[in-house]
Amino acid sequence: MSKQLDILQGTLDMLILKAVSLGPLHGYGVLLRIQQISGDQLEIQQGSLYPALYRLEHQGAIASEWGESENNRRAKYYRLTATGRAQLRSETEKWNRMSNVIAGILKTSPGEV
Amino acid sequence: MNYFTSLPARIKSWFRAATSRSHLESEMEAELAFHIESYTEDLIRRGLPPEEAGRRARIELGGIAVQKEEMRASLGLRLWDDLRADLRYAFRMLMKSPGFTAIAVGSLAMGIGANTAIFTIAKQLLMERLSVPHPEELRLFTWVGGDKVVVHSGWGDWDNLPGGLTTCSSFSYPVYQQLRSQNHSLSDLFAFKDISRVNATIDGHADVLQAEMVSGNYYQQLQVQPVLGRAIQPGDDAKPGSGAVALISYGLWQQRFGGSPSIIGKSITVNTVPFTIIGVNPQPFTGAQAVQRSPDIFLPFSMEPLVLARRKGSFLADDDFWWMQIMARVAPGTSEPVAQAALDTALNAAVRATMTVGKDDEIPRLALVDGSRGLNFAGKQFAQPVYVLISLTGLVLLLACANIANLLLARSAARQREMCVRLALGADRNRILRQVLVESLLLSSLGGVAGLLLGYFARNAIPHLLSNSWEPGPFVARFDWRVFAFTAAISIVTGLLFGVAPAWQATRTQVNSGLKDNALTATHRRKGFAGKAIVAFQVALSTLLVVGAFLFVRTLANLQAVDPGFRPERLLLFEIDPPESRYPAQKDVALYRQIEQKLATIPGVTAVTLSSEPLIANSMSNDHFLPVGQSVSIKKPTAFVNIVGSTFFETMAIPIVAGRGFAETDTETSLRVAVVNQALVRKYFPDTNPIGKTFTTGEKDPVVQIVGVSADAKYDSLRRDAPPTFYEPYRQRIRPMDMTYEVQTRMKPESIAAAARAVVQSIDKDLPLIDVRTQVQQIDETIQQERIFADLTAGFGILALTLASIGIYGITAYTVAQRTNEIGIRLALGAQARQILTMVLREASWLAVIGVAVGLGASLLLTRFLASMLFGLKPNDPATLIGSAALLFAVALLAGFIPARRASRVQPMQALRHE
Repeated sequence: MSKQLDILQGTLDMLILKAVSLGPLHGYGVLLRIQQISGDQLEIQQGSLYPALYRLEHQGAIASEWGESENNRRAKYYRLTATGRAQLRSETEKWNRMSNVIAGILKTSPGEV
Repeated sequence: MNYFTSLPARIKSWFRAATSRSHLESEMEAELAFHIESYTEDLIRRGLPPEEAGRRARIELGGIAVQKEEMRASLGLRLWDDLRADLRYAFRMLMKSPGFTAIAVGSLAMGIGANTAIFTIAKQLLMERLSVPHPEELRLFTWVGGDKVVVHSGWGDWDNLPGGLTTCSSFSYPVYQQLRSQNHSLSDLFAFKDISRVNATIDGHADVLQAEMVSGNYYQQLQVQPVLGRAIQPGDDAKPGSGAVALISYGLWQQRFGGSPSIIGKSITVNTVPFTIIGVNPQPFTGAQAVQRSPDIFLPFSMEPLVLARRKGSFLADDDFWWMQIMARVAPGTSEPVAQAALDTALNAAVRATMTVGKDDEIPRLALVDGSRGLNFAGKQFAQPVYVLISLTGLVLLLACANIANLLLARSAARQREMCVRLALGADRNRILRQVLVESLLLSSLGGVAGLLLGYFARNAIPHLLSNSWEPGPFVARFDWRVFAFTAAISIVTGLLFGVAPAWQATRTQVNSGLKDNALTATHRRKGFAGKAIVAFQVALSTLLVVGAFLFVRTLANLQAVDPGFRPERLLLFEIDPPESRYPAQKDVALYRQIEQKLATIPGVTAVTLSSEPLIANSMSNDHFLPVGQSVSIKKPTAFVNIVGSTFFETMAIPIVAGRGFAETDTETSLRVAVVNQALVRKYFPDTNPIGKTFTTGEKDPVVQIVGVSADAKYDSLRRDAPPTFYEPYRQRIRPMDMTYEVQTRMKPESIAAAARAVVQSIDKDLPLIDVRTQVQQIDETIQQERIFADLTAGFGILALTLASIGIYGITAYTVAQRTNEIGIRLALGAQARQILTMVLREASWLAVIGVAVGLGASLLLTRFLASMLFGLKPNDPATLIGSAALLFAVALLAGFIPARRASRVQPMQALRHE
């Protein structure tokens, strides 16, 4: 098993929003979805997941509802709200710009300066 | 995410979380349990043994409690939870030391309550404006003149200005009319006059009402709309003798007519003249003269000839009698000096046109003054007592704040170790500060609430300054929230400052040294300094308040010890004011005589007399006193006069020292006689026998013979020595006067009031008894202000002594506790218990000495402002100062003695082990 990457500071909220944008998920589901999409390369500290979910719900970016889980248990499902969708869009854009800039800087060779 | 755009969502979420708390908790638990179960199942599927799987799932999630704590923090509930915990803890701490809490809350309540009450009243008396739109535009007309001013007779207040000038706000009706027609700079001039009491009969019941006469444009110019009916209009005030219409005050409407709308059109008889009620004033409106209370009834000036029915003719036509007040509004942007100059010219012309101006006569100059508070009698009369009260309550508030500061300082010192322990266990410094803050705030708020209640109920205790027991004054101080907010803010800030500052200091110290810190370290000496300074300050403040209390209590005692020179017990007083329209000259004398004789037949009545001036009632009358055939070197030969019944001296028990008193044989037609008092003899007849001498009160007045000399009796006031006075029998008087009856009884004088009323009504059903009271009540009323001051300052003084002794006790007990170890060593080394006692007491007495010295110094500087309010002693009265100092010192020693004795009884071994 290759070494997993720790999640970058401040990106957890964005990843959660992305995960629930693909369909309603319960807390554990969010964890699985992110690991799955990243091809098991990202490790999320389980301890920080629920505070983040509560924070996002508190801000109105996601909403929750109790429902049935795949194994027929009561679980709390989170889905993206309109506010959350806008937030995800702007954060994605910001992330892309930032990663382009940083990638550009890192690619620079001595002759280009 | 933008902080502000998500605000509504966050507030909603916060409220949901805070209000359905138990639901939230169970949801969180269910959610976390689901997570652990799902993860465990997944781990088992990957091949882990079930127990190991469950363990790993729980470890990876972290502690459930920590998780929940962080989830709550995400919802913004953390601060809320902490605050609730702090409050609970603070309550528990306060309940644990009920003595501390009671003293702190009690003293704060006194400080806040007393200040709220006094400031509310001060605002009402000194700052409140007339309840009309834009009162700041109102200007009151006054005139200023010197000795030779042409105005000789009038009705109103004459005030002295520096430089021998006099100022007055009364004008004659003809001058008012001319000024009004000549005015081009101000809004239309309007006029009013509070004619004080009128006899009114409503539904067959005779009563005394306060009346204000107003010009036809009065309501227009004041911009006041009646709540019911219509206002007096220029048409009502058109020509003398017409316009028998009246508006009544809201208060009279409520009290006498139960607020019934059918009042409009009702008839009311004023001084035997029938009027029609046409309207009711709005509730806050108090007329134009005063802010504190409203006249009951408002009449147009045109009815003056009928209502006052003067034998000499109507005031309206009188060129020489100055009696009415004039006001006008000044429009914004008007130049007042220009307006005043123009009106001054108009006044000069009006005086020349209406009065005979001699060569030496001076024409008064017109001055416009602020009219927003009416004539502002209350402002002039009560300014000094109110400022003194404000200063005293200010000192009490300061004392309460010092007390809180002292208590909180001592408390935080005692809790130093607790804080260090909490810091050592990892508490956040802000967290500890916040806890102390909550505790101080809770304490201050409790004090604030108690003060609010006290202030709310006490605010009506002081307006007695303005009223007396037989004239129920409608003066109610309106509770002022701004005043309360101000005093409460001061106390709460003090609480916070002295609660949090020591905690701030405490949390800055190194935990390590804080825990090791004990009685043996020298740092305590410095730490105790703030506490000692505050206690010395408390003692100084207390000295000041105790000196004030002594001064006012002794003033009251001195006044009560004054011998009035007559016997005030068992006398019922009331006034009769027969209208001149029904009782012209001589008919009124017959009426007085008839009432006098009938009153004497009431069972239990032992004597009846009457006088034009009731004694010790701040009312006086003086006249020229011109001895016949004797040159008098006195510049203004005047004397006080009292027109009395034939048994006056016997009834009042004033001894006749020479000659005779009056008798039934002194009738309307017999020789005119007078009795003079000894003070008059000393002034006018120092070396001769006055019996048989004659005098007049004016060149055209008849000659009067002196037939007797009475002992001196106080005249208008207990404060003043009996002035030179002459008495004349009422049957021989030459001018009409209202008379006050003095009825002497065998039983309690109040019990015959009903019988006396029946007697008067049987003679004339329209004649009410005015100001029914006993002579003792009458005298008490004149020293009411002194009594209120004595009561209040004595209360403040006792409070001050209590707080000072608590302060000294607290600081001494604290020092003793800190030095237990040291005391143990001293005792072990052979010190005597007495030496320890002296050592501890020395410190307490030093604080007392410094405090008392500062307090006495301040007293010497400040009490001279009280000079005019004192009686029978000087502001720097040595006995008072020494007595106060001794009392303070004794109380301080006593307060220090209790902990000092405890120190001296310490067991050395126990003390050495003590830490």
